[in-house]
Amino acid sequence: MMAYITRLGRLGCDLLEAMGRAGLFLVQSMFGRPSAEGFRLWLVQMHMVGVMSLAIILVSGLFIGMVLALQGYTILVDFGAEQALGQMVSLSLLRELAPVVAALLFAGRAGSALTAEIGLMKATEQLTSMEMIGVDPLRRIVAPRLWAGFVSLPLLTIGFSVIGIWGGYLVGVQWLGVFDGSYWGNMQASVEFIDDIGNGLVKSLVFALVVTWIAVFQGYDLVPTSEGISRATTRTVVYSSLAVLGLDFVLTAVMFGGLS
Amino acid sequence: MTSSALVEVEKLRFSRGDREIFRGVDLSIPRGKITAIMGPSGTGKTTLLKLIGGQLVPDAGRVLIAGHDVHRLSRKALFRMRRRMGMLFQSGALFSDLNVYENVAFPLRVHTNLPESMVRDVVLMKLEAVGLRGARELMPSELSGGMTRRVALARAVALDPELILYDEPFVGQDPISMGVLVQLIKRLNEALGLTAVVVSHDIKETLSIADYVYVIADGEVMAHGTPASLDVEQDPRVYQFVHGEPDGPVPFHYPANDFHEDILGQGVRS
Repeated sequence: MMAYITRLGRLGCDLLEAMGRAGLFLVQSMFGRPSAEGFRLWLVQMHMVGVMSLAIILVSGLFIGMVLALQGYTILVDFGAEQALGQMVSLSLLRELAPVVAALLFAGRAGSALTAEIGLMKATEQLTSMEMIGVDPLRRIVAPRLWAGFVSLPLLTIGFSVIGIWGGYLVGVQWLGVFDGSYWGNMQASVEFIDDIGNGLVKSLVFALVVTWIAVFQGYDLVPTSEGISRATTRTVVYSSLAVLGLDFVLTAVMFGGLS
Repeated sequence: MTSSALVEVEKLRFSRGDREIFRGVDLSIPRGKITAIMGPSGTGKTTLLKLIGGQLVPDAGRVLIAGHDVHRLSRKALFRMRRRMGMLFQSGALFSDLNVYENVAFPLRVHTNLPESMVRDVVLMKLEAVGLRGARELMPSELSGGMTRRVALARAVALDPELILYDEPFVGQDPISMGVLVQLIKRLNEALGLTAVVVSHDIKETLSIADYVYVIADGEVMAHGTPASLDVEQDPRVYQFVHGEPDGPVPFHYPANDFHEDILGQGVRS
């Protein structure tokens, strides 16, 4: 029993320590004097993290939009409300599905890659040798990746929504025969810029920060062995997915649950 | 401790987990000389370099470089101090996304504003010195272990640092490049007046270039002196190490129970 309590206490201390390290890590790497070289490194990472994730995000967005329209139509048509399809597809995407699904995909596609890349740099002493050359790896390696993730996920989320709504249009209007005037018209009438698009973007910014933070920290903090890299990569995907889904509930409760 | 020392290590204690690696190590590394730190594998020689470079923090004691306590500097000041140091890693630790040329150019690009033509001249000079000017277009994954180390050496001296820490520079080198490296370390020291710390267990090569030698074992400085004085040292542990004899007070085997017992153990007894 005592041993159990001791273990619990140790676990708590370890957790707190890790969070402290992660917090310090975030502050030290994210805030620094911007430089031309930093901007160039950021652009390279925007390509690696953002542009390279474009394909999976857009294809998934298209399918999610098409499925939404198909499922929505079969339910709405029973009530003769299939004219509201555009409203349903766009609100589901903008408020929930685009930020959440894009963040989950992003964690799997870009987050795991970031962890593995930084982890391998650590395992091969590249980070240490950079430190000895007098270059802070937090500024040179971590910061551009953090900022790239933070900027690119919201942009990817917008792309996800746009193509999802278009996918819904393809299925709903082109295939199932919903009147396209009501598809677009209902959407226009019901979607609020601040409440729906804005809140969706805020969610996506939060997810972007959390997912990228977890990914780069797991890479930077891992045990530099092949097993350590594999564990850290797994942890990145698991922790970010749980964090995204958990935070989504909290954010939804605050934004749409009438708490505010 | 003399005032001409560039690096002074005082009563350094360090442990990893429960294992105590250093139990009060005192070293003094004189300016402009080659100091060798030797000792059997696993005595924490690389750890000592990392403590000097400020990557690890000791449990007690301090490391002074040019009078500054390395572990009390702010992060920024520490990085500024490291520009005056070069370190050659055992694994080379080249940046795998940059080719040989860019690896050597890296310190120049981040710390100086030299025009490209001058960067090129410096890089080619450094690569020529390690005999790899022709390999400048190769990526690190295309290099052999020995070549990697030589590129890493060129990178470590790119900024002409005051202090260079060599971590096992001779391991895995063929006889020719070994000879070249020995000469190179010596020449860098003589021509530029660099202070060098060589961590190694290649006795012959190291003793041939070192001005002063520390032998570390069991977490302490076991002996120190000039190469000539170590050669005639009477302490049996030092004698065994310097002359590379398998039998002696320093055990070759990791602690284990009796060999006979272990092999024949249960099977035979029954």
